[in-house]
Amino acid sequence: MAGKRDVVGRISEFLDVSDDATVGTSMRIPSALREAAALAVSELQVASSTTALTADALRSRLEAIVMEAALAEHYAQHPEARPSLVELAIAAAEIDGNPLAARPELIEEAAREIVERHPDADADAVLIWAEARAAATV
Amino acid sequence: MKRLVVLDSEAVYTLMTPAHPKHRKVVAHLGVVAQRKRKAQEIEVVVPTSVRVEACWDRRESGAAFINRMRIADAPLISAAADHAAAIRASLDVSVADAHIGATIRRADGAVTVITSDPDDIEAAASPSRPTIISI
Repeated sequence: MAGKRDVVGRISEFLDVSDDATVGTSMRIPSALREAAALAVSELQVASSTTALTADALRSRLEAIVMEAALAEHYAQHPEARPSLVELAIAAAEIDGNPLAARPELIEEAAREIVERHPDADADAVLIWAEARAAATV
Repeated sequence: MKRLVVLDSEAVYTLMTPAHPKHRKVVAHLGVVAQRKRKAQEIEVVVPTSVRVEACWDRRESGAAFINRMRIADAPLISAAADHAAAIRASLDVSVADAHIGATIRRADGAVTVITSDPDDIEAAASPSRPTIISI
């Protein structure tokens, strides 16, 4: 466990480095993925370059890994700190300013239903499910 | 859509205190941020440095181990931000930390969400920006 924590800590330290030094890599990616990224950059202006798009996505994924490791360790030490799927979905709605945040009963119902079909559903999936249910009842 | 999540001092204190009654609630917000980062959505959490001072968050202290690992970046009180914060504090009766939060919101690029125990002051400090405010 200490070993994993050290590795995650080192990953986090590397992510904190703000210099612009770059390195050429021999990383191989599928050519179709490369083409899709180039198209997204040139036609949709989603990033300044395919390199920036790739680096941003990689940074985001690594930050998630660091955060999830920290949360897992925190939950192991403080089980009462672990939010339920309903609480996560309400938090997601609050972050977005989604009016569903004020309808916890809808979110609760959506969470109950979605985990029956998709046991690994996350907070945003619950929100989408709740929005669909709310729209269907209008 | 790019989103910035800003913490106030109560949110920071709550995160640093597992026994706090709102701890799980604020942890849930960070849990959502982690889930969205996993999907490569553009979302960042920041803490204005004057908020860190107010909340006594010293990153060198062992008690800050958990919050230090949550990828919460400092929004420093650099010269331009200080000018914004000073103007906010001159026109409103808000704390230095809240003025710094207001400056951080006004200077943000994209949607902003603030987690705060003082929604009225934050709304005033952020004006004319209209962040999403989560009251804790």
